[in-house]
Amino acid sequence: MDLVRYVAVDDVGNKINPMIVDGQLHGGIAQGVGQALWEGAVYSDEGQLLTGSMLDYALPKASFFPNFELDETVTPSPVNPLGVKGVGEAGAIASTAAVANAVVDALSGHGIRHLDMPYNAQKVWSAIQSAKGGQA
Amino acid sequence: MAAFSYQRATSLDDALAALANGDTKVIAGGMSLLPLMKLRLASPGTLVDIGRLSELKGIRPTADGGLEIGALATYADILASTSLPIAIECISRIGDIQVRNRGTVGGSISHADPASDLPALGLALDYSVVLRSSRGERSVPLDGFFEGAFQTGIQADEILVKMVRGPLPAGALGSYQKMEHPASGYSIVGVAAVVASSAGRVTHARVALTGVGEVAYRAKAVEAALLGSDGSSAAVAAAAEHATDGQTVNGDIHANRDYRARMAVVYTRRAIEAALGR
Repeated sequence: MDLVRYVAVDDVGNKINPMIVDGQLHGGIAQGVGQALWEGAVYSDEGQLLTGSMLDYALPKASFFPNFELDETVTPSPVNPLGVKGVGEAGAIASTAAVANAVVDALSGHGIRHLDMPYNAQKVWSAIQSAKGGQA
Repeated sequence: MAAFSYQRATSLDDALAALANGDTKVIAGGMSLLPLMKLRLASPGTLVDIGRLSELKGIRPTADGGLEIGALATYADILASTSLPIAIECISRIGDIQVRNRGTVGGSISHADPASDLPALGLALDYSVVLRSSRGERSVPLDGFFEGAFQTGIQADEILVKMVRGPLPAGALGSYQKMEHPASGYSIVGVAAVVASSAGRVTHARVALTGVGEVAYRAKAVEAALLGSDGSSAAVAAAAEHATDGQTVNGDIHANRDYRARMAVVYTRRAIEAALGR
């Protein structure tokens, strides 16, 4: 699964340090996309954690991502003198859902309307095979 | 890591003598052995470090137009000296820069991790390994050298000193295609394909896979199907269907048996197509 393009428009009110705002968005987006595409703790039927090391549990890496296209609206917060809002969660909240919707949209042609994360290649391939009536 | 003794070999004979003491492992780059020792999957009593034996370094063309690679040549050494696209494609995706600077060819081949890439590359290029012991030296083709997961035909008193291949067939083209796991970078499936054609027919085919079974192997049914064919996309697709013939395909949390077997076919087709420039 390749993330080819990611566009985000955020409103964090007045920005005190725009570079830090971008950094927060980059990190949050990476984390949220990672949850959708790569991260997954796998347990055996006996409850043994199988993805017990970084060799098995896939964290997102910078090389997995395109450059993010970030844009903004600016609506100053009315409830504090600086008009600022928090940005720490903005990237992470939207990205997981956006990727999930994109994957299911891509699979909708096969009649697939839901798939659990993470959307690794085997899971997507199996869903397509099942939908085609072939072996899962 | 369990306690161990460490000695640095002053010569190849010195290293061979140390091996005779038993419970002793050779170490060079340590890129495979040290992680195993940290996980306590290996705990040799003594490590004999051959990493500074200059006689085991070097990459040299041979008189017949082939290539000889010293066991201590690193992945980075090969990348710096090769112009073979298949070698660049394979080795540039092994590990990371640090691993490629320290990991050695001899280490990778003698370690024989079922998901490591170099064994498949070596098989596709028809390499042999040269093994030295106090009894002398012998040359063993890689085809048949890998006996099981982490097991090769190397004897307890032998050290792999170099890898050698003859000249490649005229006009040979190759490619290495790899489906890597996002966490470890290891091959879920890795395929090395080398093809040569003449007068519209495939005259030479080597297709080697890693990550699929207990050992890296040559998919001889694929090779046989390609030989004499017209090398068209249809012929390649039909040949690739044999990618796992005769193999027990691994299944694990990263890829179950069915998915891995199907991807072996897909990546075999891609490797051959890429070798043919398509």
